[in-house]
Amino acid sequence: MVELLAQTGLNALYAASYTALVAVGLVLIFGVMGVINFAHGELFMLGAYAIVAVYADWNLPYLVAVAVGMAFVGIVGLGMERAFFRPLRDNPLGGLVASIGFLMILQALASMGFGVRMEHVPPVTQDVIVISEKVRLPVFRLAVILAAVVLLASLWAFLTKTRFGWALRASAQDPEAAALQGISINQTARIAMFIGAALAGVAGALTAPLISVNPHMGHSVIVTAFIVIIVGGIGSLEGAVIVAVAYAFVHTFVTTFFDGVIADIVGLLLMLVVLIVKPTGLFGSTDRA
Amino acid sequence: MLLELRAVAVTYGKVSAIRDISLKVPDGQIVTIIGSNGAGKTTTLRAISGLTRLREGEIHFAGERIDHLDPDRIVARGIAHVPEGRRIFPDLTVEENLRTGAFLRRERETVERDLDAVYDRFPLLLERRTQLAKTMSGGEQQMLVIGRALMAKPKLLLMDEPSMGLAPKIVEDIAKIIGEINAQGVPVILVEQNAELALELADYAYVLETGSLALEGPADELHDNEHVRAAYLGI
Repeated sequence: MVELLAQTGLNALYAASYTALVAVGLVLIFGVMGVINFAHGELFMLGAYAIVAVYADWNLPYLVAVAVGMAFVGIVGLGMERAFFRPLRDNPLGGLVASIGFLMILQALASMGFGVRMEHVPPVTQDVIVISEKVRLPVFRLAVILAAVVLLASLWAFLTKTRFGWALRASAQDPEAAALQGISINQTARIAMFIGAALAGVAGALTAPLISVNPHMGHSVIVTAFIVIIVGGIGSLEGAVIVAVAYAFVHTFVTTFFDGVIADIVGLLLMLVVLIVKPTGLFGSTDRA
Repeated sequence: MLLELRAVAVTYGKVSAIRDISLKVPDGQIVTIIGSNGAGKTTTLRAISGLTRLREGEIHFAGERIDHLDPDRIVARGIAHVPEGRRIFPDLTVEENLRTGAFLRRERETVERDLDAVYDRFPLLLERRTQLAKTMSGGEQQMLVIGRALMAKPKLLLMDEPSMGLAPKIVEDIAKIIGEINAQGVPVILVEQNAELALELADYAYVLETGSLALEGPADELHDNEHVRAAYLGI
């Protein structure tokens, strides 16, 4: 029993790592730009296809493929900001609808480019750390967890220690007051969109070898990310990370001991309870929820 | 003339907020805009700092037209705006709030010196420098946003209702501080519902009524004006 718990805990940690990357990017974009990016799951999907193309098809080293995926998806994010989030800045609903349209375009492009079949990426490493008879941690999963921790720590350092990080936090808390300090709204929007998209892209790239890549894979990730940011408080980065970990643990444990459908139901019920008890989310502040 | 508004009009949708506003701010002075709630005082300041676009008219600052610029470019020209309702960054610390005021300034040493000067002026902020801004009282937050504006080293300071919601004792402190800042050479546009306070501090005053200028003149003259006394001073 202890071993099963330990193994499930490790699985949950892995699920938490990429969920947190996706959710944090979504929160960052919402916080700074005030818009819900519905295409965020498809940015995750693009990151995974970058691995299919660069690593599986062109046989370049995996790390190169991850870097390409991250940069490519970040640039797609910059394009989204310029093409529709900026012109629709005063119209958050318009931005949301545009991102839904863009989501469909990305899915269609992925289907046209790669077909609708599942792509299986060859494993990067098959090594497994054997902790005990029944507790095993594949090295690759450990690498994904560590990469997520490093990325989130770097983001944290950027936000708290650098001039532009401060500008981003100030913008997220009060965009107009930030503009009055000389912080350019276009610039913070670009930075937030690049980082947010790149984090989704790298999450997709990191998980690609462990899942089947297909044009609709963004769906389940985005649903999870929405639950996480709603429970965490929609403007709170810390909330997103903490709840991503908590949610992944609940979901993975329920899946292991019951099944996946019940786990989804439990997750949504938790969201419902939080919304009833504390509508601003566990870590949200009242003024920008 | 440091700042000049020429026949400025702003509309929100189809509703006219201000129209035909012409006003001048000479270097070194405190100019006040008084008027009741909804008269267009805040809109006038927002138009100057670029938060609201003009429908008509022009705004010139230090000899250049600025009404087409984005807010961050207007800050870069030297206009600092202390907005209505204080608008601190609630989840940044006091010191982080102050440092965002100097966002566009690259000269490290003078920024540090100005930070010390702000702490000298507001010793309370020094005590609270690592505290989150949202944990402070209204009066403390008002001092924080004034300090934040000073960190920009402004050539012109816009202040929107600095006395709003504060206890009389703190209003006095704020008034004294505005006077001191001006005495050190920073011109100020002061928007106030508290006409008594505004006319006492200012050199020159404009009276806004339902979006247009009703009266203007040296502050001490307006203070004795019958209409002003009846409508705004309650005498």
